[in-house]
Amino acid sequence: MEANQMEQQKSWKKRAWWLIVLIAAGLIAPHVISEFYLLILGEALIMSLFALSFNLLFGTMGQLPFGQAAFYGLGGYGMAMLLTKLQINFWLSFVAGIGIAALFGLLVGIFCVRLRGIYFSILTLAFGQLIFVIIYKWHDFTGGDDGIQGVFPPEFLKDPMAYYYFILLVFGLSAFILWRIIHSPFGYTLQAMRENSERTEFLGIPIARYQLIAFVISAAFTGLAGALWAPFYRSVAPSTLMWIKSGEPVMATILGGAGLFFGPVLGTFLITFVHAYLLGFTHFWPIIMGTLILIVIFLLPGGILGFIKEKRDNRKKQNQPSQG
Amino acid sequence: MSFDILFNQFLSGIARGALLFLVASGLSLTFGVLRVLNFAHGSLYMLGAFISYSIWKWLLIPVVGFYVATLLTAFIMGGIGLLIEYYILRRLYARGWPEQLLATYALILIITDIVKWFWGGEFLSIPRPKPFTGAVFLFGFPFPSYNFFIILLGLALVVFLWWLVFKTHLGDIIRAAAHDRDMVSALGIPIPWLFTWIFALGAMIAGLSGAVTAPYGAIALGMDIEIIIECFAVVVIGGMGSLPGTLLGALIVGQVYSFGIMYKPELALAFIFMVMAIVLIIRPWGIFGRPER
Repeated sequence: MEANQMEQQKSWKKRAWWLIVLIAAGLIAPHVISEFYLLILGEALIMSLFALSFNLLFGTMGQLPFGQAAFYGLGGYGMAMLLTKLQINFWLSFVAGIGIAALFGLLVGIFCVRLRGIYFSILTLAFGQLIFVIIYKWHDFTGGDDGIQGVFPPEFLKDPMAYYYFILLVFGLSAFILWRIIHSPFGYTLQAMRENSERTEFLGIPIARYQLIAFVISAAFTGLAGALWAPFYRSVAPSTLMWIKSGEPVMATILGGAGLFFGPVLGTFLITFVHAYLLGFTHFWPIIMGTLILIVIFLLPGGILGFIKEKRDNRKKQNQPSQG
Repeated sequence: MSFDILFNQFLSGIARGALLFLVASGLSLTFGVLRVLNFAHGSLYMLGAFISYSIWKWLLIPVVGFYVATLLTAFIMGGIGLLIEYYILRRLYARGWPEQLLATYALILIITDIVKWFWGGEFLSIPRPKPFTGAVFLFGFPFPSYNFFIILLGLALVVFLWWLVFKTHLGDIIRAAAHDRDMVSALGIPIPWLFTWIFALGAMIAGLSGAVTAPYGAIALGMDIEIIIECFAVVVIGGMGSLPGTLLGALIVGQVYSFGIMYKPELALAFIFMVMAIVLIIRPWGIFGRPER
């Protein structure tokens, strides 16, 4: 265990340099790129947070939820409705949106954590669609397919660049917290459950409770992403809860590499920017995206980041005998 | 609420259930044997509907045109299924199911765009074929006679699949492969070959059911997503991979949908998901399914 921790600290220090590069790039970016790509960058960060919270359940815990968009949408709807209908303060609405997503995560999670594998995926999909249908059809309360308009951030965040920095800050903090959760005893227990849930149970660990806690944490961070999105887009629409939206983090995570912390982020950036770039001259981006997914699945098992890591580890292994 | 209204609703539910069985049986068959949940099954169904429209329009034979188009579509879709299994799914059996799921998800994106490319975004429809153009009056209510065609077709498929799975040698292999794939392989039966043909059969059924929905007047983009979600509900309620379960699930979902529409139209879908959630909570592997190990 101690050796493991040392190993981690070592790799953490090794990692630090490119983390600094990334943060610096994130800070400088708005001054370099056009306003269009600044919006895309903001979107990519929000979707990355969505994908990271998805991967807490998928990569770390080993279960694939296919209804996460419901929590994303609930975060957005929760904050938007409190803000526009009850005229509640922006920050209170923002926090309440996260709370609503977490609460529904608890309600849905209680039922879902008893299942494994494909049954877990389908039950989360069913609950996600249930929440989607209710919000979509309950026109008097939620505005139905019109969604909710006029979700404005406070005055000092109205400028796109200011809001971008706000997104960057929230993303950075959330990513740090999620990283700490994954590398805590709690996170290691989730990983043990992924590897062998029966043995973990024999160690006296209440699996269902751990899964439920992870599910609620994931729902809360997904809701946070949704609450970030609503004022960014100035509105929310029911499409934020649809199952197609639930597929996006799945796609991004497997594309980037589920086994690595930043895999989902890489996948999301790739998808978001390829999408934005392709929309410039073709309506047929889904076919390109679909083909891209197939190519990655066939050629790069473990995702793009997983493939790079594997290559690097192989090279290290080859070098070691000569060093030693 | 008088009896005749309830009976009419019940009959609509049966027709709906028959249609759902047509689509879901292919999904269930594929999952039962290949253990791959084909997200793109609804897309194959949609592609079938569009292809049958084009064949029907190209043939323009008065009475039998629809039936010929439906049959041709089924075979074309079978061929497409063959190609998909051989070139895509076959490479993924050794991987985890999340990758298989994602691959079929990618197929949804690809097929949607192909349909958009060839047929554009508008609604298309085929007139109801003779002799199912009119309505039958039951207790004074008009009931589209085409619904009886769907119910008959559903029954025919039930009988065919029952015969295939329980009465033929291939059926023995199918059931054995669903039970223990490695053992069947060890007995010298070429599993990859079996998988290809089962997937092709599933695609064929999807194409057939897409073709026969065309006269309902709703060939459009998005029909894939609509049906696949309901089919998931069907196979999950009945038990994934079980054909009797799929039949029962289709009948349940058909009735829930039909009476749900009568009670509160906007929540009909929500009722289906509620039933599905309840079944999954009580019996996670469905009514006729078996627990996965």
